[in-house]
Amino acid sequence: MTAVLCRASGPGKLWRRRAFLAAALFAAIPLASAEDATAWLSRVAAAAQQQNYVGVIVYQHGGRFETSRLVHLNDQGKEFEKLVNLEGPAREVIRMNGEVRCYYPDAKLIRVEPRTFRNAFPSLSPQQQAALTEFYTFRMAERGRVAGIETQAWVFEPKDGLRYGHKFWVDPESGLLIKARIFDEQNEGIEQFAFTEITIGAKIDRQMVSPTWPMVPPGWQVRQSGPKDESKETGWTVTRVPPGFVKIADGFRRLRDAGRVAHLVYSDGLVAISVFIEPVGSASHPFGISRQGGINVVIRQQDDNLVTVLGEAPVATIKQIAHSVARR
Amino acid sequence: MREQISRLMDGDLEGAEAEAAFRELKRVDGLEYWTCCHVIGDALRRNGAPIAGFAERFARRLEAEPTVLAPKPVHTAKLPLAWAVAATIAAVVVVGSVAVNMLDRPPTALVTVNEAGGVRGTRAPLRQVSPDYLLAHQEYSPTTQIQGVGPYLRAVSAGGVDGRP
Repeated sequence: MTAVLCRASGPGKLWRRRAFLAAALFAAIPLASAEDATAWLSRVAAAAQQQNYVGVIVYQHGGRFETSRLVHLNDQGKEFEKLVNLEGPAREVIRMNGEVRCYYPDAKLIRVEPRTFRNAFPSLSPQQQAALTEFYTFRMAERGRVAGIETQAWVFEPKDGLRYGHKFWVDPESGLLIKARIFDEQNEGIEQFAFTEITIGAKIDRQMVSPTWPMVPPGWQVRQSGPKDESKETGWTVTRVPPGFVKIADGFRRLRDAGRVAHLVYSDGLVAISVFIEPVGSASHPFGISRQGGINVVIRQQDDNLVTVLGEAPVATIKQIAHSVARR
Repeated sequence: MREQISRLMDGDLEGAEAEAAFRELKRVDGLEYWTCCHVIGDALRRNGAPIAGFAERFARRLEAEPTVLAPKPVHTAKLPLAWAVAATIAAVVVVGSVAVNMLDRPPTALVTVNEAGGVRGTRAPLRQVSPDYLLAHQEYSPTTQIQGVGPYLRAVSAGGVDGRP
């Protein structure tokens, strides 16, 4: 580099030297690398798991607002979390003993998602890490107050139209995520989670994170998805996987009363897209396209099978996958 | 036939399947079903929901309108105004007749709309995927790892007010 600078130091070559310096300076601007994005995600994930906090969270999607109270406790390495909505019919999400339980008191129903994946993080595969930098520009954005905290915003901007943009506002002190927003190509918000108030490092006891109802109240129905059988592959595949997405799971699981459902998951390091394949059966199905917050859903019939594809990606991406499911 | 048209409206058809659905739309009953679905969709979204008795009232008022005998234009400069009036009348007649046709011909469409209006809650959740699928998906999403259980709100609010599958 020194040699280059010396050679360029002739009077007639001053412009070239300047140009070179400018280029060198430009390159020195911290354009976040794969390690940066991955390290950043790991840091925020670790904070979300380790900190104790309580606050009010507003979930905004499709012109709707839902307010909930969130309590998180890490007790000697074990995670406990409780989310209770504050409007409409009561809903409660509890994370404890490595499973997630959703309570629907009006329907007398509990949905249980056993053995969650969470503890496996941070474990992005090298391919996922590569996809993060190849398909997103990760950069530091503005500082600003959210929920009374001076946050630092970070943006994952997609480089193609096959994924949404993501913006995260983080408390630099604790590393906790205070606000998260998904936006489309027109920079329109698709979905947003934001604390309106939060107490970090709060004193929280087990009582505050235990479910309002018993584990299984008498007369309630419990729907347990699983057990998952990831030991054998499903024999299904996606022939036109959108660039950057790699398969991270392939196995059977039990959903509703549908029996065995093949479940494949593809991820680009930031979001995931699930593919469910099951026999059509006699029940009527909501074929077509729908959206639930930041998740787009495509359901279609393929021969005698029902294909359900969903994930935090634009409809075109979900459709491409839904239309290229095939037997291996 | 109906399922194909529904799927076409959802943008779920491509290639030969879409071509087949377009052929269905060339038939009278196919087109009627298409119109009916759109009227229902509009009513569900609460835009442009038809008003009961509108067609009859509109027809009566149109009948009662005095015939406009426009005086012969003296200046050619006034011509555009006369044309504008004529065009407006023509447009009203066209819109009116389309409205009357649409509202009077297939009574099934209106009945279905009224039913749909009363059962908003049942048709809308039909479009929703079961929360079981969302829950099964959620744990794999890397963003879930940094957001805690917040994103599970998608699943618990997904079942609408009843939390049914």
